[in-house]
Amino acid sequence: MFAFFVKRLVSMLLALFGITIIAFGLIRFIPVDPVEAYFTINQIPATEEAMTSMREDMGLDQPLGTQYIVWLSHALQLDFGTSFVSKKAVATELFQRFETTFLLAVTALVIIIVSSLTIGIWSASKNSGWLDWLTRTAIFTIASMPSFWLAFLFIYTVALKWGVLPLMGWGSFAHVILPSITLALGFIPYYIRLIRSSMREEMKKPHVLFARARGVKETVILRTHIFKGILPQLITSLAMTCGGLLGGAAIIENVFAISGVGHFIVEAMLARDYAVLQAFIVIIGGLYIIVNFIADILCAVIDPRVRLKGGAL
Amino acid sequence: MLVACGNSDDKTKKDKAKGENEHVLTISWPKDIGEVNPHLYAPNEMFAQAMIYDPLVRYGNDGQIEPGLATAWEMSQDGKSYIFTLRDNVLYSDGSQLTADNVKRNIETVVENIAPHSWLEVVAVIDRVEVLDKLKLQIHLKEPYYPFLQELTLIRPLRMLGDSGFPASGTTKDGIEKAVGTGPWILTDYKQDNFAEFSRNEHYWGEKPKLEKVIVKIIPDSQARMMALEKGDIDLIFGSGQLAPEELRVLEKNPQYQTLISEPSSTRILSFNSDYGVTQDKDVRLALQYAFDRQTIIEHVLNGIEQEAKSLFAPGFPYSDIPFESYSYDLEKAQQLLDKAGWIFEEGAPFRSKDGQALTITIPYNSNDQVHKSIFEYLQGAWRELGVDVKLIGEEDQLFRTRSKTGEFNVIMNDTWGAPYDPHMYLRMMTGEKQIGHYALKGTAHSEQLAANIAKVIRSTDESERQSLYETILQTIHEEAIFMPLSYRTNYLVANQRLANLSFSMQQFEVPLNQYEVK
Repeated sequence: MFAFFVKRLVSMLLALFGITIIAFGLIRFIPVDPVEAYFTINQIPATEEAMTSMREDMGLDQPLGTQYIVWLSHALQLDFGTSFVSKKAVATELFQRFETTFLLAVTALVIIIVSSLTIGIWSASKNSGWLDWLTRTAIFTIASMPSFWLAFLFIYTVALKWGVLPLMGWGSFAHVILPSITLALGFIPYYIRLIRSSMREEMKKPHVLFARARGVKETVILRTHIFKGILPQLITSLAMTCGGLLGGAAIIENVFAISGVGHFIVEAMLARDYAVLQAFIVIIGGLYIIVNFIADILCAVIDPRVRLKGGAL
Repeated sequence: MLVACGNSDDKTKKDKAKGENEHVLTISWPKDIGEVNPHLYAPNEMFAQAMIYDPLVRYGNDGQIEPGLATAWEMSQDGKSYIFTLRDNVLYSDGSQLTADNVKRNIETVVENIAPHSWLEVVAVIDRVEVLDKLKLQIHLKEPYYPFLQELTLIRPLRMLGDSGFPASGTTKDGIEKAVGTGPWILTDYKQDNFAEFSRNEHYWGEKPKLEKVIVKIIPDSQARMMALEKGDIDLIFGSGQLAPEELRVLEKNPQYQTLISEPSSTRILSFNSDYGVTQDKDVRLALQYAFDRQTIIEHVLNGIEQEAKSLFAPGFPYSDIPFESYSYDLEKAQQLLDKAGWIFEEGAPFRSKDGQALTITIPYNSNDQVHKSIFEYLQGAWRELGVDVKLIGEEDQLFRTRSKTGEFNVIMNDTWGAPYDPHMYLRMMTGEKQIGHYALKGTAHSEQLAANIAKVIRSTDESERQSLYETILQTIHEEAIFMPLSYRTNYLVANQRLANLSFSMQQFEVPLNQYEVK
């Protein structure tokens, strides 16, 4: 187990280093640099002298290697520089918004887990009855609707017509409900399907049949044999979903007028705000890698086969 | 229970304020207002800068220069210096007094940070500022610049910040300590990306606002804004940037709301590149002018909200009331012009050509702008009948603007600058490299003369000489057929019936909130 852990840790650190290079290099391939973008956003004409002088101010006239080393050495101390647009520290700008997006994403994740487990397990235990069919049809209809449209539907009915929840903004638990449900809805059908099909697969396996033959109670079989069997796959998928939730949050935040990181990044992208984009890619990439690292370790703890295979990387 | 805890900070604030006083207006804005630094651009929002800070002089409704923080001004004979007398007893929101020293400090901090302002002659032309006494100062210019006063009226960057608003470094390039202005409003509360609260400045030197508070709610999405208006969370949506023409038309029919459309401001124009491909040929430009059906576009794409533009600048702009015979829609004439110029249909070919070169027009546009997209898709169809092959390139805003700088286009959409810039700024930009106007001028037979006249007119100190130079310039532009004016842009607003006395300012991004009232 220790060897497995160390190997996973080393590969995680290597991946993190790779991400810093990608974050730094990739965004420089996007046409239009921050100085040009600055003038465009403000709809003012740029003179060559002005652009040169601003590039010097921002340190963009330095060789790329130098820029990278300076940036990385600061980034290691969680100093991601200053936003080209707001002139404030990127770390402060990002973290204060992450808080909001994080709450939104975590609530959505809880909704995803609770609802898809409930419906998925229930659906798998029924043998394709008409109720099962109806539930699945309803869920997939919702899943096929674009999230921004669903958001408007919710705002219009729940907030505007019934007036039971706030229309937009942020500040209390009531503000979290509609956006997080909207965000979660896009993912729930996938998980229901995943749970349902992998449970059915698991049910057919010999160890389940033997357990039944031994006369073990159905609830025990479900908990210790079937559910435990699908858990590694479920954990891995959820770890991947964390990133998807942050991406989906951008659209939701815009519609619900929530000041989260999603909306902020879209703005930073339009402004080619390198400092913000670099920090964002590193943080999100880092989170992804760390979450997946934890998921791997969890899977290894649950399933000895994983650590045996993984140990022989 | 959910309802009970459903009030956000901002909502509670608004309700509380409303409960105490009915003279509170809530307006939506798509973006955060920034720290409201009077001397910088984004993320500082212009309407907020205009609420807090005052200029030395103002742009009046008829284009006349009116007193602002300065009550009197005098230009020297050679046009190279101005003496301003400041209004006495003007207080900043921190209680400090407006003085010549403070104004000098403001101007100098802007001039020191010239890079972002280098496009703006009013900053670039300033040589030095001299304090004559407590309320008198002299601004010396490097050379005469007749629109100096006009550009001093701009919302940024030459409005005045109180001394306590300057940061420790002394230069506002690094940001401001706090928003301390002399304007009608004071920023009293703010939560980034959420809301801003402005309260009436009780010490304001001019006519005080009738409203006590203005709450600005940040709502980036246009549908969400409309629903907020319907729910009563906001009272007002201001500006064409927040509402599409068709959305305005929908809300107009609803008796719950009042709508208002402003007088014409800037001009939407389709600009030719006279130095690229087929539009180097003046006859092609002329033919397209006659094949340009403004009425249909205005009616169907712009929902009749804008007026047909027959000249580069709307009537009423300085030096712009010059009668031309505009190119009115005449498809037959357009066809004749092309035939005569040798652009003909080869047998079986769908488009015209000349000496083996097809009559292909490249038009890039901002794909996020629905209005641009619709206009060009219409033109693509309409000009096909004329035998013109229109190639559309839809791109993200930044890429679109970058392409506009390369000159790789035949036709491109752009706007004139509106008050207080027009006509001098749009024309001046024609002489700058990589500008859309420059590509329009570059390939014409009279480009050098035109550029020389433009350079001359902005330095001229003689009113009659300026008038005659502008006439010559605008006449040449018209004859060379390098711009196709489409419509005069208008600004508009939608408000609920609580509000009264709604109006617009001459400057597009200024919301005249100090005149608005709650019924």
